[in-house]
Amino acid sequence: MIALTVALPLLAAFLLPLLPALARQFLGPLVLLAVAAFGLCLAGNALDAPSVVAIGDFRPPLGIVFYADGVAGLFVFAIAVVTLLLWPCATPNGQPDPQITRKHSLTLLMAAASCALALSGDLFNIYVFYELAAVAGYGLAAGSRTPAAQVATFRFTLLGSLGSLLALIGITLIYFRAGSLNLAHLAELAPSTLHDPLGLAGFLLILLGFGVKSELFLVNSWAPEVYATAESRVSALLAGLISKLALLAVVRLLVLVFPVPEASQLLLVLGMLGILTGELAAYRARDFRRLLAWSSIGQLGAAFVAFAIPGPAGLMAGIAVALHHLMVKPALFLLAERWGGNLAQLAGAARNSPIAAALFVLFALSLIGVPPLPGFWAKYLLLSGLAGEPAGLWWLAGLVVLTTTVVEAVYLFRIIGTLYGHQQGSVMQSRTATTGSGIFALLLVGTALSAPLLAAPLQKMATQLADTDGYVAQVISATITAPQRSGTAP
Amino acid sequence: MSEFGLVALLVGALGLIAIGIAGLVLARNLFRLVLALAVAEAGANLLLVLAGFRQGASAPIIEGGSTLHQVAMVDPIPQAMVLTAIVIGVGVQALALALAVRAREAYGSLDMDQLRARMEADIIAAAGTAPTTSQEAPSGARPLPPPLPSPARIAAEEPSS
Repeated sequence: MIALTVALPLLAAFLLPLLPALARQFLGPLVLLAVAAFGLCLAGNALDAPSVVAIGDFRPPLGIVFYADGVAGLFVFAIAVVTLLLWPCATPNGQPDPQITRKHSLTLLMAAASCALALSGDLFNIYVFYELAAVAGYGLAAGSRTPAAQVATFRFTLLGSLGSLLALIGITLIYFRAGSLNLAHLAELAPSTLHDPLGLAGFLLILLGFGVKSELFLVNSWAPEVYATAESRVSALLAGLISKLALLAVVRLLVLVFPVPEASQLLLVLGMLGILTGELAAYRARDFRRLLAWSSIGQLGAAFVAFAIPGPAGLMAGIAVALHHLMVKPALFLLAERWGGNLAQLAGAARNSPIAAALFVLFALSLIGVPPLPGFWAKYLLLSGLAGEPAGLWWLAGLVVLTTTVVEAVYLFRIIGTLYGHQQGSVMQSRTATTGSGIFALLLVGTALSAPLLAAPLQKMATQLADTDGYVAQVISATITAPQRSGTAP
Repeated sequence: MSEFGLVALLVGALGLIAIGIAGLVLARNLFRLVLALAVAEAGANLLLVLAGFRQGASAPIIEGGSTLHQVAMVDPIPQAMVLTAIVIGVGVQALALALAVRAREAYGSLDMDQLRARMEADIIAAAGTAPTTSQEAPSGARPLPPPLPSPARIAAEEPSS
């Protein structure tokens, strides 16, 4: 079942162009529904005991394993649901798109690679699936076919390839020092071989490499260009989903192999710079799409800061921030399908599309962190985690988060003010975008209502993610003692 | 291979990476950028192979299954990884070149600076916002001080008061 979450979308992606037109319509969504069901099962089962699959029955450390703990299951579920909600359909003008099958294939490829990123327990396997997700992302980003999109995607491709190159060099350094690529094996070897300048340099290179997709400070210059030129649904996928999966890969490496203060402080500083640059640039932005791009850089900076906090508290805060962003940002990009462009043209748009405007207000309040909404809990966990650390950089990070919240509030309330202005609006929100972001809003409100119920599983997931010894024992022992379980691999 | 040869290869690999990254930073022509990427990737691949190299070992090919445990072999895993990395690299470079061709068809240029300026102009035009400003080229109306009353108007106003 674990391997099917990757294999099914991958197979469907390549079969899609060969199928008759009618089957093409339904295969993708059906596969994604199946993956969502698998993800839910995985997350449920894994909360009791994580499961491990050795691909092709080759035992680790030489073989490749998929490791499904609670977080991985949750992310597989989230990937399927979000991809389904952002499934490419007609162009914003309502005309059928001649390239639609290709876009469906690329989206499925991206979903498959994302699931594999969440599950994989092997460093080089993570690199390969990261590349697969990246290449599908390049194809989708160029899919709007405007000249500006081609240039933006070229620049994105170059930066992304540079990132992959750095990550590959980092992986080489780690392999050179430790002689293994399996994360569990590396976790055992790390204290004696990797916690030195060369090993940390490897981590830095991998962080910068995977940071390209997770919009880390220094390597995020592609985001405002691509999000302004690509289709809104693609921007939503890249900002909402792919960035989180790249982040998750980095976090696994950080937790299992590099639980040293130098590595987490690196994450903290880069994340802090990301928050500052992202939120300040969003304050200056006059274009709705660019504003979303910059604010997404800021939000991911907050996720990096959260994951930098050592121990389960930080991981829980990081998961909360990442999941919150995963719900809010795609919904906002869906609204940008019609509202994209100059913020001034939104004047009075609330009269034409009151529901969409109300949804925007809801998401804005959650982003700022107004109490009953999930954004508040995410920021609360983040700030209390930071406050629990010794003073110094950690408290500075808390101060940065608090200050930029004010900046966030200013630019979001400015848009709300424009939306509910006195003038007669000229833009109408499309019905599909309103429905799509409405579903995200329902998810958001549902999360807010069930926050007390969700706290315990989230806590458990964070503890599981932080449990290095458990991970190692599970991977090494489960694949030796339970061959019938590993037999499910294709 | 001698110790000297190994060091030379290591320096060569790092040099290729450095040349490639310098090219990525300095070059303006899209094709040169892709070439720089290819050079840097070649360096990284060489580094990866060197990570699995062992002094005096043979290629990791088992013939007839009998030479196992008898002859020292170089680590086969990096070689397998290099194959994957090369394939990925070629695919991405082809994609980048295809995008460069499309950009050239649209804007008639392969110069990164020009293309970037045109792209920015297009994004701004599509969004309908004012161009981003800088200290050297401020945009928009400035709040000017009210015009000084001209001597003629003063002369005209005086008799009425």
